[in-house]
Amino acid sequence: MKIHTTRFGTIQIKKEKIINMPYGMLGFLDKKQYLILQHQENSPFIWYQSVDDPGLAFVITNPFLFIPDYNIDLKTPLKEMSWDTDGEKNSLELYIVVNIPKGMPHRMTGNFIGPILINTKLNQAVQIVLSNSPYTHKFPLLKNN
Amino acid sequence: MLILTRKLGEKITIGDDITVTLVEIKGKQVKLGIEAPKHIEIHRLEVYERIREENLGSSDINDSDLSRALALYRSTEIVNK
Repeated sequence: MKIHTTRFGTIQIKKEKIINMPYGMLGFLDKKQYLILQHQENSPFIWYQSVDDPGLAFVITNPFLFIPDYNIDLKTPLKEMSWDTDGEKNSLELYIVVNIPKGMPHRMTGNFIGPILINTKLNQAVQIVLSNSPYTHKFPLLKNN
Repeated sequence: MLILTRKLGEKITIGDDITVTLVEIKGKQVKLGIEAPKHIEIHRLEVYERIREENLGSSDINDSDLSRALALYRSTEIVNK
């Protein structure tokens, strides 16, 4: 199927690649379908492109590249999403939302209190809200910022 | 804003299926117990707002800033190592 995007033009994708977020992203609750688009070859960054809104794309990345021992409770989101809480864990992927103040790439930060958990087996995802967590929503991703 | 006075242990209802109980009062802190259907998301407002703002910021990143950030990422060591 064809998906229209502002940044990448019209792209051809397999329907199975679409990730469903029944609860949307915070602030974008009505946008429930997304695609993972690699930013560049060997880039740790990913465009999380909305299927419903051509102009909407978030930048996400692997949290463990920046906080290797990043550790959060998955029990609640697994239960909320009615996903298998025992096995099948290898189908889960965790991402954090990246932010770059306009024109200041050296001040790039990652939000470690609102990670996105993707179940690649079911093609579903949820943005987790972490209360009382030791992590910050503006963790610097680059040294000497 | 509707303001209601409640004593410890008393409840209020919102609509048909949401109940809020005043569970504990300790100095300037109160503990609230909330019962609501699964599809109703309940969060501390400040946490919700922070995540929402980061999402908004992320949705506004342009490709040239991201490419420059990638170049910086490749040329610098990762923080926290």
